[in-house]
Amino acid sequence: MEEVVDARGLPCPTPVVKTREALQRGCQRLEVLVDNPTARDNVTRFAASQGCSVEVSEEDGMFHLYIMREGGPEEAACATATAESPSPSGEKRVVVLSSDVMGRGEEELGRILMKAFLNTLAESERRPWRLVLFNRGVLLAVEGADTLPALKELASRGVEVLVCGTCLDYFGAKDKVAAGTVSNMFEILETMLVASNSVTV
Amino acid sequence: MGPEDLRKVLRLLPPGELREEILVGLDTPDDAAVYRLDGERALVHTLDFFTPIVDDPYRFGRIAAANALSDIYAMGGTPLSAMNIVCFPCSLGMDMLAEILRGGHDAVHEAGAVVLGGHTVDDDEPKYGLAVTGMVHPGRMLTRKGARPGDALVLTKPLGTGILATALKAGFLSEEEMEETVEGMAALNREASLAALAAGARACTDVTGFGLLGHLFEMLPEQGLACEISISSIPLYPRTQEMAAMGMIPAGAHRNRDFLAGRVEFDVSMGEVDRDILYDPQTSGGLLVALPPDKLEEFRASLPEGQRWFRIGEFFARSSPIIKISA
Repeated sequence: MEEVVDARGLPCPTPVVKTREALQRGCQRLEVLVDNPTARDNVTRFAASQGCSVEVSEEDGMFHLYIMREGGPEEAACATATAESPSPSGEKRVVVLSSDVMGRGEEELGRILMKAFLNTLAESERRPWRLVLFNRGVLLAVEGADTLPALKELASRGVEVLVCGTCLDYFGAKDKVAAGTVSNMFEILETMLVASNSVTV
Repeated sequence: MGPEDLRKVLRLLPPGELREEILVGLDTPDDAAVYRLDGERALVHTLDFFTPIVDDPYRFGRIAAANALSDIYAMGGTPLSAMNIVCFPCSLGMDMLAEILRGGHDAVHEAGAVVLGGHTVDDDEPKYGLAVTGMVHPGRMLTRKGARPGDALVLTKPLGTGILATALKAGFLSEEEMEETVEGMAALNREASLAALAAGARACTDVTGFGLLGHLFEMLPEQGLACEISISSIPLYPRTQEMAAMGMIPAGAHRNRDFLAGRVEFDVSMGEVDRDILYDPQTSGGLLVALPPDKLEEFRASLPEGQRWFRIGEFFARSSPIIKISA
């Protein structure tokens, strides 16, 4: 089953808002109809930013966008209640890094441990679906951090590294991100809610 | 309206009357029109109004006025007087309209000008702006054209207002999260204009609806000059990239991109998001100033403490006018 969102004739940014609402309801697959290239590009980009795959087909000046959650089941119904959280079939392991050190107490030791943790994770066969970096954790992904090689390795193996934009702003490091993609609370919350298993370091 | 549509409409008008007093008119489109009174004085005329870009009525009024005044500053002029233009649904209540006008008047007052009157129309959607009259010395006005190869390009406000306003409309951002952007839009371009005049700028325009690239392209003559800007030097308001990556690109950015097709060369490493930001239509954007590199220090020294400015590129000789974006 698939939900159809008819966003034809709606001004920007309404098509994106309607797509977001459908994804928030837990739709795993949906078709969005739009009638202009701006809406096509914006909805495509939004869906991609939410970890969905998008296929576009054009017909008589109208665009059909087929959106599917990555790793989502072949057939999944949209939840009707907004409170119901999505239940993906594939395992979605999420590792949350809320600090640039591992454990409390000795800070220097904590840094060594964090680097070792990420290096080991990068080599592990059981790689997570996403890494979420917030608070001081974002400093692991900025220029000069010795954890960059491990994060880049994880990213190259398909792990999505989400770096909290508000936190980067706070540390004045927005233009220094060297790994992962800058994210926001909406996506971070979404990630943690759909996670089948999340580990906080 | 997009630049392409506007050009089509203007082409249908009969040619304007030729008078030697018209220094800048329909035939030489610029930020504002300039009408010479005598050898020392010329009047600068401009008009600008739009729908609310933020929810707070006072701040909307300020931004609309700063945006209208900006055209006078982009010509190197001094604002003298302004007239309000108001479209307003009475159902929203007169208190809200009073707040919009208060914001506008405060900005005009800050500019050292006075509001003399205005006109109101009942409408479904609020719109506000001003017609502003300013004064400039005919020999010292700043126009779009005039940059030369080797000149530096300076921008005086960050980019991103179109994308962030779209995100605000979509509920992806709150007005509190846009604080820096709102303040940036409400800020006058007066100091930047005075510094450009003091430093002997060769050309100047302001960044508004056609985006950074659209307005920069207007600074290039039909042949002989091109401009290279460096993407890493472009200042952005907070969260612009994040919101652009989530599809918050206003329709105007696409129109601007289509209009400039074939005139912009991007470094291959640049992603779609960064490209779109350069086309993003701005509300009350900064000034784009062309000046010789040895005048940059004078420009900087003429700005008051805390006034931001960014050197973003350089003009160079080339037969066809293009904009190159380097990584």
